Amino acid sequence: MNQTPRLVISWLLVAVLLGYGVIETLITAVKIFTS
Amino acid sequence: MGILSVLDREHTVAPPGYSRWLIPPAALAVHLCIGQAYATSVYKTSLVKHFDASQTAVGVVFSIAIVMLGLSAAVGGTWVERNGPRKAMFVAACFWATGFLVGALGIGTGQLWLVYLGYGVIGGIGLGIGYISPVSTLIKWFPDRPGLATGLAIMGFGGGALVASPLSRQLLSLYDSGYDPDVSTSIAGGGALVGLFVTLGIGYFAVMMFGVFSIRVPADGWVPDGFDAAAVKAKPLVTTANVSAANAIRTPQFWLLWVVLFCNVTAGIGILEQASPMIQDFFRGPDGKSTVAVAAAAGFVGLLSIFNMAGRFGWSTTSDVIGRKPIYAVYLGVGIIAYFLLATVGHTSTAVFVLLAAVIISFYGGGFATVPAYLRDLFGGYQVGAIHGRLLTAWSAAGIAGPLIVNGFLDREGKPGTLTADAYRPALFTMVGVLTVGFVANLLIRSVADRFHESSETTVEASR
Repeated sequence: MNQTPRLVISWLLVAVLLGYGVIETLITAVKIFTS
Repeated sequence: MGILSVLDREHTVAPPGYSRWLIPPAALAVHLCIGQAYATSVYKTSLVKHFDASQTAVGVVFSIAIVMLGLSAAVGGTWVERNGPRKAMFVAACFWATGFLVGALGIGTGQLWLVYLGYGVIGGIGLGIGYISPVSTLIKWFPDRPGLATGLAIMGFGGGALVASPLSRQLLSLYDSGYDPDVSTSIAGGGALVGLFVTLGIGYFAVMMFGVFSIRVPADGWVPDGFDAAAVKAKPLVTTANVSAANAIRTPQFWLLWVVLFCNVTAGIGILEQASPMIQDFFRGPDGKSTVAVAAAAGFVGLLSIFNMAGRFGWSTTSDVIGRKPIYAVYLGVGIIAYFLLATVGHTSTAVFVLLAAVIISFYGGGFATVPAYLRDLFGGYQVGAIHGRLLTAWSAAGIAGPLIVNGFLDREGKPGTLTADAYRPALFTMVGVLTVGFVANLLIRSVADRFHESSETTVEASR
């Protein structure tokens, strides 16, 4: 059973959600600390 | 009932060769959604303005949700174990999404009690069931690395706020052109709040459904390739026997661990609840003005969220290597030192303050994420989800005790906006005492006595 596509899609969903959150938070923090 | 039978445990058994690495994303899909509960401050001011209510009256919505989390996890834990993760995650998604929709109705009609009922009570039940639903399944799939598995899932609860905070701000600015997402004091209108709640409810339901249909339980007798049960058994405090949830709460080990979790969460919440004003107060000059701007304090809170999330994964994974009891000795023991340093030298530089707060918050997150694996070590995997649910009442209790301790001391020291680092010392030294109690409780934890163990026939029958 080839599960690679399911694995990629599953972890991609997690990476996109978490990545969005972390990057947005870091952008906010950098803006705030450097303004 | 035919369609819903797909949710039954017997229809979720994984076929041979199923990759266990598909399970953590399924669990994360749920935890990333319910972690929104930590991002309610984004729209709190807008709700206060919309309902023309006090901060406390709106803040109660979050408190109800957290209390319902603890209660539903405690009461529903056995049901979750009996019905399997897919049905539990589906029920959690229904409650969580309905909570948002009823909350939206309350905002739209100007009825605050409907927000209490919707987001607080109904959504809170979704929080509790959703939080515990994947835990025992993950432990069964990862008997060799339970800390890593539960750390991944519970990291999602911390990460949920990181996703929900910017997403909520951007959605509010989409629905209300007068709302500025870059200004923390900006206020959105009631229509935008309704739009936000409806969008989050539908969106979270969709993401959680991904988890519902991805989750699988391992077949009876399945073990990962190369897994050596004898090696696990050889580790201190790790049992291969099983204890039921009903028996677990009769053991001293359960209550010692309850105290450990309570102390760790109480200490962490003390910082988390007060983070934004605290960093400003620590660096207030003789002229009464803080060198840390309001906006910078908000950025500091965001950074703490990242350490909270990282601690959940990093420390829980580390516990697989060094053991559960030693890692809690680190959380509580090093936490004592960090709190002491925060009280004595935290005001000397912002770098020292941020570093110490980050360490403390990472231990706070680590304590949450490691506890399911600690429970598995002590009580076995038979009803670990239900036992975990009962233990989460410590979280509800700490949610009340932590802010009470900090705010109680600060109220005596002066008014908000005039406090300095000195005002925080009594509260911080109290937290040192709280952590010491937790440290001693952890040291007292021993293996569970044989008389509490289930017979092997009982656990095999129940797993069918």
